[in-house]
Amino acid sequence: MTDLVTTFSALGDPTRLAIVERLMAEGALSAGELQDIADISAPAISRHLKVLRQAGLITQTVDKQRRIYSVQPGAMQTISTWTLSHQEFWNGSLDRLAAALKQE
Amino acid sequence: MPTLTLERDFDAAPEKVFDYVSKTEHLLKWWGPEGVFLSEHQLAFDRKGPWLSVMQNDAGQRFKVSGHVTHVDPPHSIGFTWAWHDENDVRGVESHVTIKLVPAQNGGTRMQLNHVDLPDESAANHEQGWTSSLRKLTRLLDA
Repeated sequence: MTDLVTTFSALGDPTRLAIVERLMAEGALSAGELQDIADISAPAISRHLKVLRQAGLITQTVDKQRRIYSVQPGAMQTISTWTLSHQEFWNGSLDRLAAALKQE
Repeated sequence: MPTLTLERDFDAAPEKVFDYVSKTEHLLKWWGPEGVFLSEHQLAFDRKGPWLSVMQNDAGQRFKVSGHVTHVDPPHSIGFTWAWHDENDVRGVESHVTIKLVPAQNGGTRMQLNHVDLPDESAANHEQGWTSSLRKLTRLLDA
């Protein structure tokens, strides 16, 4: 269970909210692809990503030398009134499709 | 215009996956993420023509989406249009979904899903979603 106070305080910053919204809409992205979110330095973006990671809102995976970020689905369920995004719809649906195919 | 691209690998053969992504009886098993149920539907991607689905979640939110099936090429691909309806049933910006199935080495299937011409969600829906979430939270905390 994600702590709501931590979740919302992590999101109580326009840059971090914009990062989460971008990841919701477009899926997994690298730090470089998130750079144009705000007119700030790469280390500053990294610091925001770290806060979001520590709040459990996003996850980081490493693909070769690139760090890839995506939204943590569990954290999103904490906020039950989140608008159903295309990303959320398709990822959730395809998980169920995979399960349905396996059941036969 | 943002684009959403997803790739999934399935053990099942393309013919079977095609059935699952095109026929009503199978679509009803997976359409919509966990936590929402279909309250109304006209789901068939095995023929050209209109489709729609209305999803609801436990919080009573209703999500209606509709479109037109534009191409059906078994067992290779399906194409359809897509647009959310707002609370007054006004249909929003139209986007396009293509599902491609490619045979894999192991007899399985690689699915490539492309959802293109998407409206800028971070500017519209999400912000509303967040705002209403925060309002709800504030009410809960104040109660």
